[in-house]
Amino acid sequence: MICRRIWRSYGRRWWLCSASSHTSPPPPPPRACQQKSPLLGFSSQVFTTDLNIPYDMRRCCFSTQAVIDLQVGGIVDVPLAQTGEGIAECELLKWYVQEGDEIEEFQPLCEVQSDKATIEITSRYKGRVSQIVHVPGDIVRVGETLLKMAVGELLVAAQTSENFENMKSVSSEICNSNSESSVLKKASIGGVLSTPAVRNLAKQYGVDISDVNGSGKDGRVIREDVLKYASNKGIAQEALTSSSDSSEEKECPHVSAEHGWDCEDKTVVLRGFQRVMVKSMTLAAKIPHFHYVEEINCDALVELKASFQNENSDPNVKHTFLPVLIKSLSMALSKYPFLNSCFNEELQTVTLKGSHNIGIAMATQHGLVVPNIKKVQSLSILEITKELSRLQQLALANKLSPDDVSSGTITLSNIGAIGGKFGSPLVNTPEVAIIAIGRIQKSPQFDDDGNVYPVSVMSVNVGADHRVLDGATVARFCNEWKLFIEKPELLMLHMR
Amino acid sequence: MTVPQASKVGLPLMNLVRFKGVPILKQLHLEERLLRTSSDNWCIVNDGTNAPTIVMGLSGKPSELLEVGSVLQDKVPVIKRFTGGGTVIVDPGTIFVTLICNRDSVPGVQPYPRSIMHWSGLLYNEVFEGFGDFRLHENDYVFGNRKFGGNAQSITRKRWIHHTSFLWDFEARNMAYLKLPQKAPEYRLARSHMEFVCRMKDYMTRSVFIDKTLKAMENHFSVRPVEVDVDASVHDAGFVHSTKVLMKHELEEALPISI
Repeated sequence: MICRRIWRSYGRRWWLCSASSHTSPPPPPPRACQQKSPLLGFSSQVFTTDLNIPYDMRRCCFSTQAVIDLQVGGIVDVPLAQTGEGIAECELLKWYVQEGDEIEEFQPLCEVQSDKATIEITSRYKGRVSQIVHVPGDIVRVGETLLKMAVGELLVAAQTSENFENMKSVSSEICNSNSESSVLKKASIGGVLSTPAVRNLAKQYGVDISDVNGSGKDGRVIREDVLKYASNKGIAQEALTSSSDSSEEKECPHVSAEHGWDCEDKTVVLRGFQRVMVKSMTLAAKIPHFHYVEEINCDALVELKASFQNENSDPNVKHTFLPVLIKSLSMALSKYPFLNSCFNEELQTVTLKGSHNIGIAMATQHGLVVPNIKKVQSLSILEITKELSRLQQLALANKLSPDDVSSGTITLSNIGAIGGKFGSPLVNTPEVAIIAIGRIQKSPQFDDDGNVYPVSVMSVNVGADHRVLDGATVARFCNEWKLFIEKPELLMLHMR
Repeated sequence: MTVPQASKVGLPLMNLVRFKGVPILKQLHLEERLLRTSSDNWCIVNDGTNAPTIVMGLSGKPSELLEVGSVLQDKVPVIKRFTGGGTVIVDPGTIFVTLICNRDSVPGVQPYPRSIMHWSGLLYNEVFEGFGDFRLHENDYVFGNRKFGGNAQSITRKRWIHHTSFLWDFEARNMAYLKLPQKAPEYRLARSHMEFVCRMKDYMTRSVFIDKTLKAMENHFSVRPVEVDVDASVHDAGFVHSTKVLMKHELEEALPISI
């Protein structure tokens, strides 16, 4: 995480540099300027476009600045490179690749447009597309990440122009932190040779990496060196068996039971989603919660879902209950906007959020994550279905973007999908309400004549911040939502 | 630019194709094919297209750029081309000049939009010198502050295309099919079409323009005329064309609906 932030801040500085270098007197051109831009774009030298400069005096934008291109866990943020002097942004027109594709160096990735030109963006790296960040129609600023690629773990330090000549490209395999296939230069951070993942590991142990003896090539510090140092120092030891992404590790609590008398305590350092959960639930604990419970008749919802599925001709779309619940939730929020708000304790204000960005809690092997669907008030049920599916795929693959998991305004937790009657959810700060929905179950009900008939019933539990919401507001809101679920035809009255 | 005028030695080769009255769709298909599948430099001159046609840039939206109702009513064909840029309505009074070059062919020109645009301005300066107050203004060719030539480009890894539609003459009523675009150059200053554009025929004849253009090309390239089959099947090109004609329903979708 930290390494990526460093890259971004350096990345931004680089752009500032390249803009200012145009106006300052040109520095002497570096010798044998054969470098390739580490950024996406035209995989040749990057030039300014002032034609008043004589032809043989080409300026190299890198020559006076340190640019560090760091990667964490083998994933590279690939930005939109400069497409010409003074062009600040481009419209993304179309992708030539999709997530999961293997990419060769110089392969066209996408097409963008600026002013009068459509420009083909080619890949600087050989690797695999890990995540597409923008969609056609988006306006992308120069320097903003276009996509993420897995190019294997490397540390490319380009401090001065001389070093460019020695830069080598790396293989496309995603290596773990023990890989020694990349060529390293002494990083300007700390003066110690190592990869970002190893630095991260050291930081998490509270170890100063410059104190660690490196046993790798050229004296570089590898993962085992950090672990050995930490263990020697008496810092709690990590399970060395973990071979997956070093930023998240999970311990199965039932292991000790299996081993019977050989039980030993195992300490797990919480990272990734689990760490986020610690932070947000600590904040949630400060909120005075109350819970409101209701039962909703889902007969109409079951019928509606079946109808959608029967008329569905798109094999990629699978209809579930959630999108209708989400859309009707948004309808109810329009009438009760206080449930879609956030509370500022310091200023004693409540901000009624304009967009309904409805978060859906998802259980993944990496932990609990809550991506949100943006602007549900403007989406159709089909659009919600597709967006939900997209977020689910990303969550399972641990590829959600920061944007996917931020700016949520209310959360829905479909704990019923796993089991239980209903939960008692804790608000997902800085929101003020959360709704846990239980499984839809067939329940017996009595009619007026005393006869028993089956009804599909779903229990819901609304957790609310009692500083902002009172019981009456939540009850009325829930009645409104319940009405839309039990009589979905009423949604049509409000369709735009 | 430092090449001596007297000698053609060392100038990059350029194939010259000359047409008259070729439909703009066929011209665009040919251009895209040459950009993507050829490794030569090309200059294409089409002295007027056969029928009035609206040509939008690759990301153009009909609802924003066209008076869709009139376009549909009068059955004016609408094409989306593979290059960027704005919307034009072309007809037999429009002269097209297209340059397709390898990225390293032109000394001092980098494969970036502004670099290519700037160099093209210098090239046409040689053409129009003495005929009017010509210059490249933002991305347009103007006499004074009136536009007579619009440009568009597409840049790939190894090559680029820069093509221009010159308004040698036009029908005023055809301009009525185009809306005032949201994205307009600053110098336009919200002028209507008729106040913003001018006719090249008020400055020079068609043949003089084309001759001077070819002469200017010869200062930078070793030009040789070639024949090409503009009717060659677009499906054999080995790639998917980006240029396409908009179907009626696509235009109808752009119509505002009121109840």
